[in-house]
Amino acid sequence: MAVEMKLPPVLDIIRGNIVKYGNPLALKGSEVAAWAKGLKLPKEGEVLFYTGGEYQLLPFIDSLVKTMTHIDQGSKSFSLMMGVRNILDKAGFNAEKVYASVLAKDRERFNSVCYKAAFVLQKLGYDLAYAGDEELYSGALLYELGFWQDLKEYAPKVRRMIEKTRAKTVVCLSPHAAEVLKLVYPKMLPGFSIQVRTFVELVWERRNKLPAISSAPVVIHDSCRLARELEVDEEIRDILIGAGVPVREAERNRQWTTCCGGPGKLLFPELSHVMGSRRVTELEETGAETILTSCPYCLAALAGGQEKGDKTAVEDLIEFLFRGYAA
Amino acid sequence: MKSDLTKAFADYAKDLNQASRDENIQKAMSRAVKSYRATTDETMRRFPHTPDLAAEVREIKTRAIQDNAALLQEAMASVERNKGKAFYAKDAQEALRLALEIIGRGKVVVKGKSMLGEELHLREYLEEHGNEVWETDLGEFILQLKKERPMHILSPAIHVPREQVADIFSKFFQKEIPPDIAAEVGAVREFLREKYFSADVGISGANVVAADTGAMVIIENEGNVRLSTGAPPVHLLMVGVEKIVPTFQEAMKVAEVTWRYAQYGVPGYVNIISGPSKTGDIEKVTTYGAHGPKQFYVIFVDNGRSQMAGDERFSQALHCLRCGGCMYECPVFQVTAGHFGHTYLGGIGAIWTAFVSGGLDEAAPLLYTCLRCGRCVERCPMRINVPGMVGELRKMLVYGESLPGEDLPEAAVAGGVSHAAET
Ligand code: SF4
Repeated sequence: MAVEMKLPPVLDIIRGNIVKYGNPLALKGSEVAAWAKGLKLPKEGEVLFYTGGEYQLLPFIDSLVKTMTHIDQGSKSFSLMMGVRNILDKAGFNAEKVYASVLAKDRERFNSVCYKAAFVLQKLGYDLAYAGDEELYSGALLYELGFWQDLKEYAPKVRRMIEKTRAKTVVCLSPHAAEVLKLVYPKMLPGFSIQVRTFVELVWERRNKLPAISSAPVVIHDSCRLARELEVDEEIRDILIGAGVPVREAERNRQWTTCCGGPGKLLFPELSHVMGSRRVTELEETGAETILTSCPYCLAALAGGQEKGDKTAVEDLIEFLFRGYAA
Repeated sequence: MKSDLTKAFADYAKDLNQASRDENIQKAMSRAVKSYRATTDETMRRFPHTPDLAAEVREIKTRAIQDNAALLQEAMASVERNKGKAFYAKDAQEALRLALEIIGRGKVVVKGKSMLGEELHLREYLEEHGNEVWETDLGEFILQLKKERPMHILSPAIHVPREQVADIFSKFFQKEIPPDIAAEVGAVREFLREKYFSADVGISGANVVAADTGAMVIIENEGNVRLSTGAPPVHLLMVGVEKIVPTFQEAMKVAEVTWRYAQYGVPGYVNIISGPSKTGDIEKVTTYGAHGPKQFYVIFVDNGRSQMAGDERFSQALHCLRCGGCMYECPVFQVTAGHFGHTYLGGIGAIWTAFVSGGLDEAAPLLYTCLRCGRCVERCPMRINVPGMVGELRKMLVYGESLPGEDLPEAAVAGGVSHAAET
């Protein structure tokens, strides 16, 4: 007998936002694409630069989680609040107003990750196309949370968005997007055969062109998806060592990497935080001064897992490589 | 029907948060994880053939689960040929009813550790029906006194430090037991020794069953299983149908891989039991119950397993050897121990909870705790794709689908296995 289960409302809110607005938090397309204003990237080209809006939504996820941590998700007020936001703001909510607590500097930082990634790739000689405010989220969370039927209906939209750019290759900043496009889409969309690469792989191919970076020792936090599903781990070491960066290894790394706890953030924020802190400790035990990762959620979870006053920097590989040009 | 799980999620989240702040759990888990990794690395270096053997066992288990119905018949026939009595229980109620029929009431029972026993709530059931039942595994004995459920499948009392054990024992034995591990072990040894020899029935599970010979393989370290299965006049063995493999030699391979990934070079004891104790020493007349049990009963329990076996997305969950390796690698388990679980623990436990021990709604919070990070797969000798199955079950949850096989009539669920051999 089929039993309809009432699950925590946050799941359906995320689902609804993706399906309706093409973004897990219902951010507007123009907001997601704001970082690219000055770059004038063409909308068509062989290599599609794909942010999926994931770095851009990071500062908002944290506020969402902060809200949730203080409110019992099973309570009426929670579902009411989330529901109102979801229903009233048919055109996507104005994130700045709703999340007054989001710091401008956080927004700027995470938005600029996209800019920096595009900058690095262009410097390496890649001609990039970008879908701008038409870009849609990959749907990775639909897959993750179990909404496979919804993904099946949503994926064709993403496919059309990609095909419109006439790209042969999609370069994903987020390994979650890469995973779903590379491993899940082909099973759901017959004939979907576009080449899916990660930012790391593209950089790796032209790593000889990277400028040297002078830096104190770094430690790599391998993202689970990147290391295990996509089997990209040695490439990050090659890139850094090639740029003259001293790399330390955590005891648990590569395919044995410890999850940052990020995936638990929506439903179990406190526990997720504990796991993030523990991973930070594992990484800091190496004595490295900078923790590098290549995944938006790892970046947020590790930064959030740091103790107050912690001197170690947590950066995305993108930000770190950009420094080589800024110097 | 509609089932509201929002409260269950909220309560469960509180429980997890509390566990993650519990210093005893944190202390015990970090010790356990460290020592598991160090010992396993060392044993793998000493026995470098292990990963290849694990690959072979994967094949063995895959075939065995496909042929489960036939192997069950063969195993039951083998037990009977060995002068044991074999039963098949399609669900928990039937398993408990059979066990009670064999044991009766007013008996003293000594019991070895068994996850199946936990799944069935066997001890509680037998106690409710007027029996005195003792857990003989040290960890389970502690939990029996503490009235708690196991927090790890191999080290059930992983979360209880020696100071707490001393308190519990001092109260129970009504004398001062110091927080000294040797003294604690000694006290239990003395107490249980008397129970083994006065018990009417000994109960155990089994790690592997060989269909061809009816040999039941039980891996242990404490020696409590030897005594529980050897001293009383009756031995009742209860085992899940997924534990059957075709031959004795294959069973040995499964056993070696199981203990190796459970961090043992070699375990203290490997018991192989295939029938009642017998002798032909006087005039070559076979007489049963020489030194060991006169009667040997085996109950093969299904309880949702053939449902799993019948669906190619989930049948691999039955390959689980219960080595426990995955739990040490799970970032959630590392901070919450068995709070991430129901009867079965961790990610693989979420799958088992859905099918055999509570159903989809009981499994729901567990399914969403899993990070789908995939490190358990790296450790698992069977390379069981837990994240993949978690995804499938989440899908069923959000769309209100039933578990595979649940809408079928009962006969189809049992996979055509006859409920034979009742005596
Ligand atoms: S899932 Fe794999 S690692 Fe975990 S207990 Fe089972 S066999 Fe061992």
